[in-house]
Amino acid sequence: MTMNLFNQFLSPTFLGLPLIAIALMAPCLLYPSPAPGWQSNRWTTLQNWFIGSFIKQTLSPINTKGHSWALLLATLMVFLITLNTLGLLPYTFTPTTQLSLNMAFAVPLWLATVIMGFRNSPTHALGHLLPEGTPTPLVPILIIIESISLLIRPLALGVRLTANLTAGHLLIQLVSSAAFSLLLSQTTAASLAVGLLLLLTILEVAVAMIQAYVFVLLLSLYLQENV
Amino acid sequence: MPQLNPAPWFLILVFSWLIFLALMPPKILTHQFPHEPSTLTAHKPKANSWTWAWQ
Repeated sequence: MTMNLFNQFLSPTFLGLPLIAIALMAPCLLYPSPAPGWQSNRWTTLQNWFIGSFIKQTLSPINTKGHSWALLLATLMVFLITLNTLGLLPYTFTPTTQLSLNMAFAVPLWLATVIMGFRNSPTHALGHLLPEGTPTPLVPILIIIESISLLIRPLALGVRLTANLTAGHLLIQLVSSAAFSLLLSQTTAASLAVGLLLLLTILEVAVAMIQAYVFVLLLSLYLQENV
Repeated sequence: MPQLNPAPWFLILVFSWLIFLALMPPKILTHQFPHEPSTLTAHKPKANSWTWAWQ
C-alpha cells in the first residue's frame, strides 16, 4: 500500500530514457525571451516586473560584492517556482520532489558561499562559529554546535524543499483517492473530501511558491553572512 | 521511497545543472530594466500645486 502511494515520485523513464529531462525543460519553454526591438507583451512585462522586484528585494540587504550573484538567484527563483507550481497540475511530475535535485542545488550553492567567505575573510567567517558574549566555559561546546549547524544547512535546505512538496503531493493523492472511492457509496463524505481537497490545493499552491522563495532567501542569507 | 533510489541521482544532477546554467540564464538576461530607480537615490519629486487656468 505504501509503495503504491509513493509510486508517483518514481523518476519517470520511457524505454530507458529519463523523462525528468523533459520535465526540467518546462521552465525554459514557458518563458519567451523578450526581443530587443519589440514592445513587451503582457507575459513578458509580468516576468520583467517579477524578476526586477524580486532581485531588488533579495539583493538590498547584501553588499555590492554579493550583487554578482543576482543572475544566479533570479534564475534559481524562476526555475524553482515554475517547477513547483507546474507540478500541481494533475498527472505532472514535479522534479523538485526528487531529493537528488534539491541536494544537487543546495550543496554546491551553500558550499560556494562558505568557500567565498573563507577565502575573502577567513577570520570573519570563522567568527560566525562563536556568538558574541558567550561565557568562557561554554566556548568549546558552542563552537561544536555552531559548526554542526553550519554543516547541516545544505541538508536542511534540500530536505525542506523535498519534504514540503512530497508531503503536499502525497496528501493530495490520498484525499483525492478517498473522495473518488467514496463518490458513489457515501456522497456526503465524498463531498467533504472534495472540499478538503480544494483547500489543500490552495495550500499547495501557496506552499509551492513559498518554498521556492525560502530556498532562495536562505541562500541569499548565507551569502550575506559570507560576503 | 523511490526518491532515495541512487540510480538516477548523478543523471538528475547533470541534467538539472545543465539546464540551470545553459538554458535559463539567457532567458533571464534578455530582460532589461531601463528605468528602474535605485532604492538609495529614490526621492519624491516636489509636488507643485496645479490649478485649471479658467478664463
